[in-house]
Amino acid sequence: MTRIDSGGTSAPIKIGVLYSRSGVTSAAETTQLQATMLAAEEINRAGGVSGREIELVCLDPQCQPRRHAELAEQLILEHRVRIIVGCYMSSTRKAVIPIVERHNALLFYATPYEGFEYSRNVIYTGAAPNQNTLPLAGFMLSQFGSRVSMIGSDYVCPYESNRVMSDLILERGGEKVDETYLPLDAPWESYLDVANRIKQRSPDFIFSTVVGEGIPHLYRAFAHVGLDPYRMPIASHMTSEAEIAVMGNDLAQGHITSAAYFQSIDTAENLAALARYQARFGADQPTNMCWEAAYFQMHLLADAIRRVGAEDPTLLLRVLPGLEFEAPQGRVRIDEHNNHTYLHPLIGRVNAHGRFDIIGRAPERVKADPYVVSHITPEWTAHAHPELARAGAVR
Amino acid sequence: MKQVAETPAILRDLRSLKVVVIHPQDQDGEELLAQLRRIGCDVEVCWPRLDSLPSGTGLVVMAMRPETLSIDFPWLGTSTSPPVIPVVTYENPITIEAVLRLNAFATIPSPVRSFGLLTAIAVALTQFKACRMRERYIERLEQKQAKVRVIQQAKQIVMKARGVSEEDAYQLLRSQAMLKREQIETVAGEIVKAHETLSF
Repeated sequence: MTRIDSGGTSAPIKIGVLYSRSGVTSAAETTQLQATMLAAEEINRAGGVSGREIELVCLDPQCQPRRHAELAEQLILEHRVRIIVGCYMSSTRKAVIPIVERHNALLFYATPYEGFEYSRNVIYTGAAPNQNTLPLAGFMLSQFGSRVSMIGSDYVCPYESNRVMSDLILERGGEKVDETYLPLDAPWESYLDVANRIKQRSPDFIFSTVVGEGIPHLYRAFAHVGLDPYRMPIASHMTSEAEIAVMGNDLAQGHITSAAYFQSIDTAENLAALARYQARFGADQPTNMCWEAAYFQMHLLADAIRRVGAEDPTLLLRVLPGLEFEAPQGRVRIDEHNNHTYLHPLIGRVNAHGRFDIIGRAPERVKADPYVVSHITPEWTAHAHPELARAGAVR
Repeated sequence: MKQVAETPAILRDLRSLKVVVIHPQDQDGEELLAQLRRIGCDVEVCWPRLDSLPSGTGLVVMAMRPETLSIDFPWLGTSTSPPVIPVVTYENPITIEAVLRLNAFATIPSPVRSFGLLTAIAVALTQFKACRMRERYIERLEQKQAKVRVIQQAKQIVMKARGVSEEDAYQLLRSQAMLKREQIETVAGEIVKAHETLSF
């Protein structure tokens, strides 16, 4: 590996952090912030990166794209930061990309998104559609049927996920029985309307691409109109332990999520990281897919800085592609060509404790394919899944 | 947008699209190649000459450089030529004129960025297909128009020669065509030709 003499500097390595502490998606983003802090503290406790301490500069972008852009520029120009971790919704990432490209900075993005993007200045550690939407679609269409209701938040990611799902439904001769998009700040009553319509039309399952504060509304509305998740579950690739903590376990129980990480994963790395996290932030703090990506990307970053002996993005980009890390979900790897990450897709069903029983898993880690247009569902999702029956009856 | 539409066929077929890239191996060339591979196209690179296109080429991406401007590519501008997306480094009139001659539907500016290539490809392929369909439609219309003109001329000749009405002249042409088992425009063409031969 290239090692550039850093001149024996012991100055801290400054890393900018853009996770929102207020706004529609702040529940998940707060866990990403805490995961980032945990990882930084772990790295520092182990002696830092080649003797240099990691110093986080945390600013609160409040879920607003413009504020993300302003704060990214502020981090780079005023705080002299070259590396930023953060962003959640695609609109916020799109706002930050021109800034990091202009200043040749590096953004680490730890949230699942809709694909069709590659920036030299972004490392994507969340799932691409072929790692979450596709396994979920394959699993649900095989195990539950192909009459599907779609409900999403009104922005780009849900449209793209639903395009993938729609193509797969049509290929199987299925039917979209309903397709609704609600504003990010839609009130509970709007979700109630949708739930009533779903009840009337009785699909095989509901595909939800609702994000943030809408998620508890949707699950509450679903329960309110008396729908049974064991007969007609909501399937999502965004509903995580963070949203379950907000809505309560009883509302979430029986519903299904696909992700590359659940808190219930029993790897040694997860158990250890989880113990440290809860010791640091509280025993009642759940983890989730975005938490995990935010956590492992800090360790990947620290390893990359260690290898080149500097935090210069151009140098880091020489070693980040192909870099691997033993993450809580299993061994992950940054792809050599597309800056996305090999992940381990899982399907989980929420149990009575608000945790996910894993009812399906990819046999090996999956390469991210952000530009795939025509999807073929993975073979493993079509098999019989005895875990599904154990996690609740399919009738 | 209230309903998600079906994915356009052009996007679905991107992974089987054969792209020929006429570009030197510089930073732009590498960026272009890497992004085309991320998109998943089947890519072949050459520079600067390409005497014949590999079979099945669906798209050509060409650097507009002095090297390519001076080359006469024999496969360009024929009825079977694929669409060409020029990569434009200069905006001087000479280069722009060369871009216009390519009948390009999209361009890629240099320095090449990964972003924008997919849209450029989708626009170029869609517009190219639409343009081809329009050309074929116009061709068919022109052929039809020519037939109508011949029949009209033949009718005039028959009307004068036999002293009949336009409708009767048409019926005569039709019955002759049926008798000879030929198209009415063939019979009409023979009459027009014979008339021209006699009119001296």
